[in-house]
Amino acid sequence: MSADGTGPERGPEGNTAREWERGPYVESTIIMTTVRVVSPFILTLGLFVMFHGADSAGGGFQGGAIAATVLLMLAFAFGIEPVRDWIDPGTVLILMAAGVANFVLIGLGAIALGGEFLQYDVYPIYHGTKYSIELIELGIGAVVAGVITGLFFLIAGGFEAAEPIEDTVEDES
Amino acid sequence: MSPIPIPIDGGAVLTPLQAGMTLTPLQAAILAFVLGCALVAAVLRDVLGVIIASAAYSLGIAVLWVILRAPDVALTEAAVGAGVTTLLFLLTIAKTVRPSDERRLELPSPRTAVVVLAFVAVLAATVPAMPAIGSPDAPVVDSRVTEYYLENAYEQTEVKNVVTAVLAAYRGFDTLGEAVVVFAAGVAVLLVLKREVFV
Repeated sequence: MSADGTGPERGPEGNTAREWERGPYVESTIIMTTVRVVSPFILTLGLFVMFHGADSAGGGFQGGAIAATVLLMLAFAFGIEPVRDWIDPGTVLILMAAGVANFVLIGLGAIALGGEFLQYDVYPIYHGTKYSIELIELGIGAVVAGVITGLFFLIAGGFEAAEPIEDTVEDES
Repeated sequence: MSPIPIPIDGGAVLTPLQAGMTLTPLQAAILAFVLGCALVAAVLRDVLGVIIASAAYSLGIAVLWVILRAPDVALTEAAVGAGVTTLLFLLTIAKTVRPSDERRLELPSPRTAVVVLAFVAVLAATVPAMPAIGSPDAPVVDSRVTEYYLENAYEQTEVKNVVTAVLAAYRGFDTLGEAVVVFAAGVAVLLVLKREVFV
């Protein structure tokens, strides 16, 4: 990103501040090619860790973080704005909300079936405990992946995009 | 608690303290690498260099977790510590100004150094109380809690990874709290930056 080592001394015309605001993205064939080759494997690893958290090392937190890293890598290689346009904002929100709701609903569902909160073995399905735990791991993965992606693009956006909301508030008053 | 001698591979007998100090060359090299990265991150003046050094530090720690048989922690450290945090730091310095200066190194102020060294001394004082790496008489090995989980986790939760069993089943309510904390962190950033969507 700013790995080219150019600091504020780059713009003698005094346009450095504006350059830094746009982000010091440098198009690099090496980085783009590497990310293009590597990202499917990393996404697969993330999903594997998420889906196999019950039987091998890892779980929702780790798998979600690895899966989200793919989006961060894409933004690193191809620029933040193109990737931001490519991602559907609603999907990120739904991922986060659905992950937490999934966890809470599995807990409440156990109460509805006559057990305690999060008592998985009351679910009348084959290996109910195992599949409840795996479903919860997937939900945690969704929350973590959504939040990491969101944090990255929010911090990249910064305060500039805050203005539309402030404008509407001023309009109402 | 009493220093029972541990027979190790070659038949030699060491006290736990000595056994804890027998690092393999690989462990010693990674420890030296991690310490070096931490020192570089502390004294380097260029923020970009500090970020790279701390990413290398996290990667070294992750490898150390793998060697110490904690793959779950290693995955988290590698993905979050070395990966995501580094990118967030890079984003942050991309939005601020890097001071251009001739000096490459900047030693911490004496006051900071005293506080850090005192903290390290306090932590180091607890090291002799820990069991040696892999010691069979470590308190956690024959603890009733550990034995209970290892004996019952598979029958009760039907998952083979005991870490997952503890996190999702035995401590499920805590993990629900953690998931909500992560969710709340995302919502908090939305609120602070006055935005309605993440991307």
